[in-house]
Amino acid sequence: MASFHGNKINPNRFGFGQVKFYVFLIPLGLVMILPIVFMFSQALKPLDELFMFPPTFIVQKPTIENLVTLLSLKDMTVIPVTKYLFNSVVVSAAVVALALLTSAMTGYALSKKKFKLRKTLFEINTIALMFVPAAVTIPRYLVVEKLGLINTYWGHVLPLLALPVGVFLVKQFVDQIPNELIEAAAIDGAKDTAVFLRIVMPLIKPAMATVAILAFQTVWNNAETSSLYMSKETLKTFAFYMTTLSTTIGNNVAGQGVAAAAALIMFIPNLIIFIFMQSKVMDTMAHSGLK
Amino acid sequence: MKLKPKLRLNKPRREAFIGYMLVLPWIVGFLLFMAYPLYFSLFMSFHKVAITPYGIQTTYLGWDNYKDAFLTDPAFIQKLLAFVKSTVVMIPIVIVFSLFVALLINQPIRGRQFFRAIFFLPVVITSGEVVQELFAQGAATIPLMDQSGVIAYLEDNLSQAWSSPLIDVIKRFILILWYSGVQILIFLAALQKVNTQVYEAAAIDGASPWVIFWKITLPEVKPFILVNLIYTTVDLFTNTFSDVIKLIQDNMFQVGTGFGYSSALAWIFFAVVLVVLLLVAWLFRNRENAAYAGNGR
Repeated sequence: MASFHGNKINPNRFGFGQVKFYVFLIPLGLVMILPIVFMFSQALKPLDELFMFPPTFIVQKPTIENLVTLLSLKDMTVIPVTKYLFNSVVVSAAVVALALLTSAMTGYALSKKKFKLRKTLFEINTIALMFVPAAVTIPRYLVVEKLGLINTYWGHVLPLLALPVGVFLVKQFVDQIPNELIEAAAIDGAKDTAVFLRIVMPLIKPAMATVAILAFQTVWNNAETSSLYMSKETLKTFAFYMTTLSTTIGNNVAGQGVAAAAALIMFIPNLIIFIFMQSKVMDTMAHSGLK
Repeated sequence: MKLKPKLRLNKPRREAFIGYMLVLPWIVGFLLFMAYPLYFSLFMSFHKVAITPYGIQTTYLGWDNYKDAFLTDPAFIQKLLAFVKSTVVMIPIVIVFSLFVALLINQPIRGRQFFRAIFFLPVVITSGEVVQELFAQGAATIPLMDQSGVIAYLEDNLSQAWSSPLIDVIKRFILILWYSGVQILIFLAALQKVNTQVYEAAAIDGASPWVIFWKITLPEVKPFILVNLIYTTVDLFTNTFSDVIKLIQDNMFQVGTGFGYSSALAWIFFAVVLVVLLLVAWLFRNRENAAYAGNGR
């Protein structure tokens, strides 16, 4: 709504007009930051503080004791923790890249290409969004086994590629691109690949960044593929390693702090990806030219 | 647009072909990892499933699993109803809140980028175990609400059936805020597509910001409201936080009930979600048509 400020005389010097926005933004913003603060503070709490009643929200005497314990525990296992980390990075990168590609292609085709099954496919996708993932665990295992994906990297990657949310979001964004724009490009001689890469992709960047964030989270935090489809320890991911750490020692009192530290370590990459991606989301939206 | 006749003849077919090629990877993935598992879980829901060393053994039960869910299971229907009620109350709150925030962070204020980042932040929080951890620690409740007597007032004045979901919503208010990250983003994208000249013109014609919101902004973001409604409904119903999903997972590895029964529960839940979603979409579409007719064009 930049413009009706534009009608006022000297709008930029008017501080008072903005106060009413801050009144809402600052408290709500604080609420949004709370969980992050909580995660850090929980991981830094010494043991006595973790079990204090009433619980404190912000750590009083921060210590890195929990993180140190966590790191020393890593020496106990035969396989170096870097191996788990490597697996996680490879798998995450593959899932994010492939999920982006398939979501974008599918979303684009479902929105702009005319073919018979178009509507049906999209409806099926929307319906698939709603199903409880846990209910399909056993059948999925059977499929993975039949395809020979047990103990391969593909076993981590392929099951997670079916990301109905991605297709849903991308399709909704591509819908907003005027057909005229694509037709104009086609008349100028652009092939489908060029239309897709040069016109559609830049315009749906906000959706793509969102899908990337969602896909990364799904794969990075996923311990299920490791525990179900991988029997070789060297193929398991960092998320799995973290859950074993916090469950083997997490049940006793001392483990609580370690679990909090593990949760923090698992969470940080999410935060980094988010910070990186969200700037992409916000920057491109302003200049998308989608009017 | 004038195309050569030769091209025009081939175009629909070529387009359909390219369309299918683009969708193909998704279709294959979907068939393997969604469609077949879904079919198989439907199959299991009519069977007693036992996992033995020799593989999975199934005995046909007919509708027994479903009957049990409705007639003998004390927890399921009760939890399902409670959950549906509180979720139905939450959906509009999430939508209104996210539209409100999107409008706010679309204003020309200082630190806009910063606030945008903050309000999108919940997206990384609400997935996974972080949010559960937080809720378990009591970080998601507002102590003020308990003290101010709002809850007691609701308990006194409403029937048990409606006061408990409402109280639930109040208690989870912060959680609601955390669940609106993607919705805020979608609304923000929609708001930024609105041509600023339209606002300018309206302001020159003497429209107040209030009128501008109802007459220009809202119609412009309308398609995205439906998108958000669907997204929110799905997101709230399928998050790990749901009691019903927990119940389904618990049943999965119980000897007495097992996978067959939990599949049946999952399908009942799925049917309920579908009904809610269709209802939401239908209500919204109906409204839109009425408004369109009311324009008197």
